[in-house]
Amino acid sequence: MGLWSEEKAQNCSTWERVLSFGGGGRELGRNMGEAHRRITEYLNRFSDAVSSQDGSSFKSLFALSSNSPYLLSLADALNLFQDANRLIKQSENYSQFADILVPLFRSLQNYRQNNLLEAYNAFEKTANAFIQEFRNWESAWALEALYVIVYDIRVLAEKADKELASNGKSPEKLKGAGSVLMKVFGTLALGTVHLCRSVIRSIETARIFDFEEFPKRDKVTYMYYTGRLEVFNENFSAADYKLSYALKYCNPQSTANIRFGSGVPTYINIVQALRRGDLRLLRRALQDHEDRRISCPGEVRTSSLPEISKEDVRIHYIIQKQKDPNRAHQVKLDVIVKALKWLEIDMDVDEVECIMAILIFKNLMKGYFAHKSKVVVLSKQDPFPKLNGKPVNS
Amino acid sequence: MSDPNTASMHHLNLEQLTKTLTSLFNLYEANRNSNHVHENEAEFHSLYVLLHLGSYSQPMGEPLSVWFRRVSTPVLKSKEMCFARRILRSSQLGNYKDFFCTTAAQATYLQFCIMMPYINEVRALALSCINFGGYKLHPYPLLDLSKHLMIKESDLECFCNSCGLEICTDESGNKLLPTKQTTFSHPKGRFQSYSFLGLQEYESRSEVVGALMGLDGDVTEGVANQ
Repeated sequence: MGLWSEEKAQNCSTWERVLSFGGGGRELGRNMGEAHRRITEYLNRFSDAVSSQDGSSFKSLFALSSNSPYLLSLADALNLFQDANRLIKQSENYSQFADILVPLFRSLQNYRQNNLLEAYNAFEKTANAFIQEFRNWESAWALEALYVIVYDIRVLAEKADKELASNGKSPEKLKGAGSVLMKVFGTLALGTVHLCRSVIRSIETARIFDFEEFPKRDKVTYMYYTGRLEVFNENFSAADYKLSYALKYCNPQSTANIRFGSGVPTYINIVQALRRGDLRLLRRALQDHEDRRISCPGEVRTSSLPEISKEDVRIHYIIQKQKDPNRAHQVKLDVIVKALKWLEIDMDVDEVECIMAILIFKNLMKGYFAHKSKVVVLSKQDPFPKLNGKPVNS
Repeated sequence: MSDPNTASMHHLNLEQLTKTLTSLFNLYEANRNSNHVHENEAEFHSLYVLLHLGSYSQPMGEPLSVWFRRVSTPVLKSKEMCFARRILRSSQLGNYKDFFCTTAAQATYLQFCIMMPYINEVRALALSCINFGGYKLHPYPLLDLSKHLMIKESDLECFCNSCGLEICTDESGNKLLPTKQTTFSHPKGRFQSYSFLGLQEYESRSEVVGALMGLDGDVTEGVANQ
C-alpha cells in the first residue's frame, strides 16, 4: 500500500490521518469499524497461530521493521482506534498474551509515527514477555518468531540510538538489545541440544539477515555457544573454527567475557587435545575448568574417565602390536597404571581393573580381564567397537 | 521383599525431603550476605545432588546441570559438594572402586544416609561387570571383592546369592566367585541392609534411618547386632 512516507507521518495530525484512512470524513464511522476489524483480525491470527503452533504465520506478526503492508495498515488502525487494549482484554484467547500484545501495539503505533525511541522501548517489553512465554511452550515451534523478534529488536535499537544521538542524548538502546539477545541465547543454551540445533539451523538457513551484520559481541556469543555444541557433538574441526573465532574477537577486558574468555580457551584446548591425541593436554583442560563443565549440558560425556583410559589402552595396543603382533592384545594393568600416572591421573591397579570391567560390560571394549594375572586381554578382531556401546543386559 | 506400603512411604519421604531442601535453599538465598556460606549450607546442597543417584531417584523437575548454575561458587567448591559431584560421576561411569573408596573416606553421616538405598545397586552393578568380563578360569576371590565393595565377606556371599550367583571354595578354604554365570539377576524389590566397612559407626545410627527410608529389615535386628 505504501501509504505514508516517514516525513508525512511526522507532520500529519490525527484528523488528517483519519480522513485519509478510508478516503474522507463521511467514512469516519466505517473507518472506525474497519480499524476495529483489522485489529481483531490480527488478534485472532495471533491466537490461532499459538493454538495451532504455526511458526511461520506467527513470525509475520512481529516483523515491524520489514514495513510489511499488513503491519503498516494495522499500525494505522491502531493509531485511529486508540483503544486496542480494551479489545485485547475482550477475549481470553488473546488477553492471556496481553504482556506481549499491549507493548507490541504500542511499539507499532510509535514506529508508524516515527517515534523510534518509544517504539524500541515498547518492543523491548514485548521481547522480554515473549521470551518468558517461549520458555513455557513445550517445543521450539515459535523459533522463527523468536528469531524475527531478535532481529527487529536490533534494528529498532539502532534507529532509537540514531534518534537519541540526533537529540544530543547518549545512544544506549543497542546495549539493551544486546542483553535481550543474551537472554535469548541463555534460554536456548540452557535447553536441550535438540532445541539448539533447531535454532542454529534456522539461523544458518534464514535469508532475512546476514550474520556479518550483527554486532561483534553477538557474533562472538553465537560462535562460542555453537562451538561448545560442536564439541559436544564431537565435530572437532567445526568446533575448532568456531571457538577460535570467539576467542579471537572476544574482548578480554569486558567483565562478561571474563567468564566466556576463560571458558573459550578451555574448549579450544579440549578440541586441540582431542584432535592431536594429546591426552595430557586433554586431562589438564578438563581439570582446569571443572566447575564450568558442570553447567554444560552433557557434562558427563566430556568428563568421561573411561574414555581416557580407553584411548590409553588403545595406544598401548598399538605400541605392543608393533613390538610383538602375537601378544599385542594382552595389556598389563600395571602398564596402564604407569601411563595414567604420566597423564597425571592417579589410579591404582584395582581401579584400573574396575574401569576395564566397566568398558567391557558396556561393550566399549571387547575382551576380558584376568584378576589373578592382572592383565586385560583384548579381542584380536576389532577390540574397540564404536562409541555406541550399550550395557549387555540393558 | 517388596512391600507396597514401604515403597510408597519411601517415595513420600523422598518427596518431602526434596521440598524441604528446596525451601531451605530459598531461605539461604533470601539471607545471602555477599559470599558468606552458612554453616551447613554446603552439606545440604550436597544432599540434593546425592538424591539424583541411581535408578530409584525421582525426577526433580529440572536437570541437575541447570540447578548447578544457580549454586554459588563457594558452595560449589566446598568439600561436601566436591564429594557429591565425585560420587555422582563415579556412579554414572560405573566406577564402583572410586565410589566405595571415596564414600568410606569422606562421607558424612547425612550423606551416607541419603546414599544408603543406592549403595547396593552399585554393588550389583559391580557383580554384573565382574561376572560378565572376568576370566572364566580365574574365579574372583571374594575377599578381594569385599574390600573393593566395602562389605564384610560373609555379607558379600549373601549378596551374591541374592543376585543369583553361586560361590565356590578352593582347596585352602578361600571363597571365590566364578565368572560367566548365566543366572545373574537383580533381586525383586529392595535389597536388604548390608554392612559398610569403615563406616560401622554410621551403620548403627542408620538402622533407624534406614527403616524410615523404607529399607527392609527389622530395626531391632540392627540394634541387637551392636
